[in-house]
Amino acid sequence: MISIKKLTYMYPEADSPALKDIDLEVSDGEFILITGATGSGKSTLLYCINGLIPHVFDGKLTGEVVVNGFLPKDMPVAEISRVVGTVFQNPESQIFMLKVEDDVAFGCENLSLPEEDVIKRRDMALKEMGLFHMRHAETLNLSGGMKQRLAISSVYAMGPNVFLFDEPTTDLDSTGRVEFLNIVRRLKEKGNTILLTEHQYEDFLTLADRVIVLEKGEITGFSQAGSLHTTTGRELLKGRKRGVSDEIDIQGVTFGYTKKRDALVDINLNIKRGELIAVCGDNGSGKTTLLKVLTGLLKPVKGNVTISGLVNPSLEELIGRVGFLFQNPDEQLFANSVEEEIMFAPMQLGKKINKDEYLKIVGFSAIKKRHPQTLSRGQRQLLAILSVMTIEPQILVLDEPTTGLDHGNLCSLFRILYKMVEEGKTVIFSTHHRKVKEFAQRVILMKDGRVIKDEIYK
Amino acid sequence: MRYISRATPFHSLDPRTKILMSLACACLIVILNTPISLFCLFVVLLLAFFSIKPPFSVVKTTLYLMAIAMVATMISQGFFYYFQPRTPLVTIIPEDAGLFGRLTGGISVYREGLIYGAVQSMRFFSATLLSMIIVMSTYPSDLILGLKKLGVPEKIGFMLTVSIRFLPVLAEEAKRILVAQRLRGLRIKGLRGSIRGFRFLIEPLIIDSLRKARRIALAAEVRGYTGKRTEIKKLHFFWMDWVALSIISLAIALAVKNRFMYE
Repeated sequence: MISIKKLTYMYPEADSPALKDIDLEVSDGEFILITGATGSGKSTLLYCINGLIPHVFDGKLTGEVVVNGFLPKDMPVAEISRVVGTVFQNPESQIFMLKVEDDVAFGCENLSLPEEDVIKRRDMALKEMGLFHMRHAETLNLSGGMKQRLAISSVYAMGPNVFLFDEPTTDLDSTGRVEFLNIVRRLKEKGNTILLTEHQYEDFLTLADRVIVLEKGEITGFSQAGSLHTTTGRELLKGRKRGVSDEIDIQGVTFGYTKKRDALVDINLNIKRGELIAVCGDNGSGKTTLLKVLTGLLKPVKGNVTISGLVNPSLEELIGRVGFLFQNPDEQLFANSVEEEIMFAPMQLGKKINKDEYLKIVGFSAIKKRHPQTLSRGQRQLLAILSVMTIEPQILVLDEPTTGLDHGNLCSLFRILYKMVEEGKTVIFSTHHRKVKEFAQRVILMKDGRVIKDEIYK
Repeated sequence: MRYISRATPFHSLDPRTKILMSLACACLIVILNTPISLFCLFVVLLLAFFSIKPPFSVVKTTLYLMAIAMVATMISQGFFYYFQPRTPLVTIIPEDAGLFGRLTGGISVYREGLIYGAVQSMRFFSATLLSMIIVMSTYPSDLILGLKKLGVPEKIGFMLTVSIRFLPVLAEEAKRILVAQRLRGLRIKGLRGSIRGFRFLIEPLIIDSLRKARRIALAAEVRGYTGKRTEIKKLHFFWMDWVALSIISLAIALAVKNRFMYE
């Protein structure tokens, strides 16, 4: 049982508390879904339960947290980890070992359990999580969903009965999400207590016993599961006509990274100027590869790609015509201020743009002097998109642009994209979120390197 | 250069044996000082290198780079060898050839220089081959386990494991950053361009690594990592390990005897 009374916490050097007067009782075996915008204090609340606050994060903590009868603030994090297991958003940074079975054993080894116990628990976790057949596989080569499953297995092996999940499915595709749901269901059936934070929480509504909404560090809503709604919008694009002239045309394109397996098989697509297209599919279905081939970043092994009239163009020919945004925004921000970041491409390319308009559309006017890396994750994502948009390319390609964006930021993003489409630019983005694809006018579904569905909505 | 899974005698040696052998070989590289003995060491290591059945592409690049390095070292040492005695083989500018000759003191290729260059490159190549053999024949986590069993502190071992685990991730990231920047019009031309380009690459790379490092640290923390832990993986010494260690000890003993006892 977890009991939280009058919990207030302020990060060091922060102006306002991240959590304010939180009161929460969680009974054993309960599943609590915690939702709220970025920066609302969801993760912070979990950190107070697993002891990262106050043991790793300094700051001002008042109030009381009791987990299974002990106070996390009086126990080392390693001790708490025997009872409270935590799984974070990014599966990549929770895997330490090179082999699957070594990683599952990692946590138990840290608890200094006797050898036989470690091996017993490791094998039990591998079996129950369905990883036993791939215990010798290298962790580097696993898919995102598999990595997340591995991270859960490693925590599971440590034998906690409280599980904290911090945005666990943000980086997962639809298959990964389904797998994750099944695992969480099983954990719940075994009587574990679960606290889970997520923006895209619809999937968990049937499983959760209670939903908590956090806003600026305060609990603003309690609800029995199932009563929350979200808005979506394809209505915004309704009635828009498809462009007439060809922008991208690809014929019989095949591409492979290795000789053994083709990442793309015989793709034929015709994309008109001014289309807004979502490319969907699971991780490994060829989405990113298709985007790269569509924009000439990868040369097809077979077939032809025609982009704005150029047949199989080189990267040099595409500079200024095509904007490409990779997944992680942090890799793409390198200027010293928001303003400089936005102006980087136009300066290099000698283009004149209306900077203030771009700043205004995402509400960055007030923060234009800030260093990009001091912004929040969602803001950095928007800035990265903006920095590619200011190339003012004919074609804008975004790889998973919505990862980690809350609803507010998501709307800002699509406001910009709609503006581009209005101006006759072509926008193509990949996504594995069911909801997000509904913002597009045309949806291309990929599986095993093939286009299995190509639908245009009118 | 990375681990290649094969069934060879070297692969089956205990990582501790391999670490000790490489330390011993490193000593040999320093102790041996005659061209003949260094050449012998080089040949032995080259044979060992072939015994781990490296892929042809690796062999080709290695030999090619070695040849270039050897020729370059020999030529530069041939010209700039300053120890006495030295025997000129070819004289390009004689010592008494006008002002230039007097200024430079003459330019010749010296026999001793060529030999010295060859000896130094043998040393260098032996060290290179040695590290390649170890890395290509030992699974990274076994190597780290070996280091730990030989007394390297647990936390340093863990650091090494995590760095090996994240190195490929980092390399991928660097590649993506470069493409992203080129698409935003960054042109890298000349030395100044390269320096600027380097700054643009390194800054996002470092900041992102710091973020990643923080996430990894938090994940390790909640996984109960304190530095004190049970190690379920075991290493085993077999007769081959003893044979290998005996051979290398004998070689060291002989080398020490020849170098220091009869001079």
